[in-house]
Amino acid sequence: MEKKRENVFRKVARWLVRGLLGTQFEEKWFYRKNKENQDEDQKDKAPDDSELIVSPGRQVFNRFLERKFAVFSVFVVLAMFAIVFIVPNFMPKYYDAFTETTQKDLPPTLDFMNVPGELNGHIKMIDSYSSFTVGLSDEGKVYVWGIGAIGATGINVKNIPEEVRNAKIAFVAAGQDHIIAIGEDGKFYGWGSNRFGQYAVDDVILANPNLEPVPDAVLNGELDVNHIKRVTAGFQATAILMDDGTLYIWGNKQAYANLDRFIGRTDIVDVDFTLNYVVGLNDKQTSVYTGTKGLYSSVRTKIGGGKGEKMSAFLDGRKITEVRAASTSVAILLDDGSIALTGDFQSDVVEVPDLEDGEQFVDIEAGTYHYTGLTNKGHVYSFGGDHYYQAEAPQVAGAAKVYAGAFQSYAVDANGKLLNKWGLKGYLFGTDDRGANIAERVIAGGRITMTVGAVAVIIEIILGVSIGLAAGFAGGWVDMLLMRIAEVFSSIPLYPFMLILNSLLSQVSMSTDERLYMIMVILGFLGWPGFAYITRAQVLVARESEYVTAAQAMGVKSSRIAFKHILPNIVSVILVNMTLSFAASMQTETSLSFLGFGVNYPQPSWGNMLSRASNATAAINFWWQWVFTSAILIMTTVCINTIGDTLRDVMDPKSSNDK
Amino acid sequence: MARYIAKRLVYMMLVFFLLTFILFVLYHMMPANRAYTDARAEIQTMKRLSEEEKATKFDELYLKYQRLYGTDTDNNLILYLRWLGLYPFYDGHYSGIFQGNFGFSYEYNLPVVDVVPTHMRNSFLIGIITEIAVLGITIPLGIKCAVKKNSRFDRFTQFFTLIGFSTPSFIIYIVFIVFFCSILHWFPVSGMKTPGANYTGWREVLDVLHHVTLPTICLTFGSLASITRITRASMIDALNLDCIRTARAKGLTEKAVIYSHAWRNALVPMVSIIVGGFFGTIQGAMILETMFGFKGMGLLFLSAMRTADYDMIMFLEVIYTFIGLFSNLVTDLCYGLVDPRVRISK
Repeated sequence: MEKKRENVFRKVARWLVRGLLGTQFEEKWFYRKNKENQDEDQKDKAPDDSELIVSPGRQVFNRFLERKFAVFSVFVVLAMFAIVFIVPNFMPKYYDAFTETTQKDLPPTLDFMNVPGELNGHIKMIDSYSSFTVGLSDEGKVYVWGIGAIGATGINVKNIPEEVRNAKIAFVAAGQDHIIAIGEDGKFYGWGSNRFGQYAVDDVILANPNLEPVPDAVLNGELDVNHIKRVTAGFQATAILMDDGTLYIWGNKQAYANLDRFIGRTDIVDVDFTLNYVVGLNDKQTSVYTGTKGLYSSVRTKIGGGKGEKMSAFLDGRKITEVRAASTSVAILLDDGSIALTGDFQSDVVEVPDLEDGEQFVDIEAGTYHYTGLTNKGHVYSFGGDHYYQAEAPQVAGAAKVYAGAFQSYAVDANGKLLNKWGLKGYLFGTDDRGANIAERVIAGGRITMTVGAVAVIIEIILGVSIGLAAGFAGGWVDMLLMRIAEVFSSIPLYPFMLILNSLLSQVSMSTDERLYMIMVILGFLGWPGFAYITRAQVLVARESEYVTAAQAMGVKSSRIAFKHILPNIVSVILVNMTLSFAASMQTETSLSFLGFGVNYPQPSWGNMLSRASNATAAINFWWQWVFTSAILIMTTVCINTIGDTLRDVMDPKSSNDK
Repeated sequence: MARYIAKRLVYMMLVFFLLTFILFVLYHMMPANRAYTDARAEIQTMKRLSEEEKATKFDELYLKYQRLYGTDTDNNLILYLRWLGLYPFYDGHYSGIFQGNFGFSYEYNLPVVDVVPTHMRNSFLIGIITEIAVLGITIPLGIKCAVKKNSRFDRFTQFFTLIGFSTPSFIIYIVFIVFFCSILHWFPVSGMKTPGANYTGWREVLDVLHHVTLPTICLTFGSLASITRITRASMIDALNLDCIRTARAKGLTEKAVIYSHAWRNALVPMVSIIVGGFFGTIQGAMILETMFGFKGMGLLFLSAMRTADYDMIMFLEVIYTFIGLFSNLVTDLCYGLVDPRVRISK
């Protein structure tokens, strides 16, 4: 009988099949051919002794494969390595120091754009400013989706007040942390945070000179709904514009320094909010009015259009019909159907599209950094800031209305049916206290943490093994001296020493990368004695063994004996310690970074990403900021330690005997 | 034996001086110049002088302060010896560690020797309770796992100790804080006593206990896993020895075999951990103390680090280094106590 000897790859493949699909597939795919004669073989012949003798390496490997969890761990660790080293190449928009104020502390979710099914087909308007979106249906019903919870305040804008549910609503608008609604009968509603008098008035708000209270006419429901032209909300402010040019505006004057200039105006045609300014269009329609001289006065037709021209020269008799503001820029729609831009843009942008002949913009809406425009042919174009891919509009035909807010855009047809939506879906692991995507930072941080661990261990091994070899092989005073040095190094208290070195290094101006190398080198330099002791002990054992005596008798050079005869025999022990040391170095790095003495912001590491959780309130309120990162960190170290443990077990001949 | 200890002590002192010298030199690389700042501060108070007079006066003052603080030289060895108290200052007097001058903490405005003892006592108290609890739990657990190797109980324990061993301690602390403080509200999050409430007598003791319980539990939990694993591993090795087979063959009871024969052998590799643990209590748990605002040695060191409280850091480094070396010595002596073979070979 020739029972086929399995090669390594076949065995791994078979194991994978067994693990993933089950034993029946394993038998079907791997044992089908020799299944018939297997039974006969077993009856006829006793097992051949020569088949049982396998090389020690093969034996260790086979025994390793028997440990399912260990094999699983190998795959997990390899997968982690692959993810943290390959995936960053597919995150072109990621950079370490990214911050986004409106996206701070958001829990994990992917439904930023999940328009409720009931609303679809009856969309009257959609508005959003930060993490939640409010929609209004033809029947006057209000829907809220996205993340309704406002930070750790306990307020949730998804809890729509009962009176709003029962009323027929005509207008809605969403701000940073509040929503306002106006009923068909002119009644005014608001919910969410009212810390800056967003929708209600009380004594504290009246007493605060920095807050402009809601006008009485609005509160008392005296507005004629049929004459409301536009309702919009900004960071902590809200504006209602009537079609006779009357503007009602209120909110936080510290967030909008020029809010005063707009109070009580009756000559306004359009209004919107940037991050710091209220921008309006007065009835002359020849400039973007901010009440601040020189602001938004030079216009250009393209984002990369240089310094731009003076507004009056550019307009050349044309009129501005619409003003829409993103965070730091303003887009204006002219009466000839073209658009122009003023203000600043980030670096990561999509350029304004060139329209075909005869195609004109009829409407434009602004998100936090991007704009979405609708043309007279029903096409939709987006441009502006593209960090969340919100300015990459799909092909849409037959759109009658577009809505844009925050980082999303929606295209709706004439029947109120949603045609398409694009932009930011949400965050798999939530966002951190700077508004960065935790999932991306976990990957980028893993790359740093694992690199630091790996390089530190490599330095430890190179130093430790060569010193251990030298000490063990040379003996005498060399051994004595080297071991004393090792003792000095191992009696250095690790954490205090690391902290001193780190604060020393922080005095020296060095780039973040250089700092990272220093951390690796320091960890490596403080960790080598362990390897030196082990190597030396193994060399002392090996030196007494017969094959070394034989080699010496044959006159082999001692350096050759050390590297060719002894080193291969101690590789297994080093391998085991390497794995365990790798996990330990990763832990040391995370602990140091957690204390603020390792890898520092903006560079992510699994340690410094967890430092926010040292605050008990943040740890419970923003659980996603540490749970995912620590779970991945623990999973990785558990798997690495499992591999090390299993290697030690299977390589130890003693442990196999008593099994 | 006495000769051995004497030899070790001499060697220990050598290493101690070497290490502290390295740390001292490293520390002097930091751009902090006390003489300069003090001279600057004093010159600011003299308003009547002209610019030129100020410049000459400043040089004078700077030299005065440098001589006062003993920094009037760039020679690191002299600076180090002055710090030790083996080299005279400019005016000929000695003032260093050997004269009992450990330095002055500018953060606390007290000599460092007055600040450190309370912190050390706190760290030591919490550490010693933890150490006893940890050994009380892990040693029986490790022995039981080793004796019933590969049983369900063993596998269960192995699984949890693997996770515990792989988890950085601060994550364990976070979980405990979230669970006990934020969800159950059993313990206060940080501090040593209720702020503003000046309890006395019994109430004070209870209040401190209330604040200290959670850190102790956390610290205990943080070191359970690794020590259990080490106990188990060394016990398994010990149970595989030939002498155990002989003991069983003699007909000794299983109890006698395990606790008297095997445990004695298993204790040898554990000595360094047990001794190191006891000395480690004095050094304090840096991460734990930072997270709980527990006034121990670790927090003292970290805050000194953050505020660049130079003399404090140096003094704490001396303590750390001394404890590290001393615990090495005690470990080696304990090996002799535990293992007769070591005693003979000396």
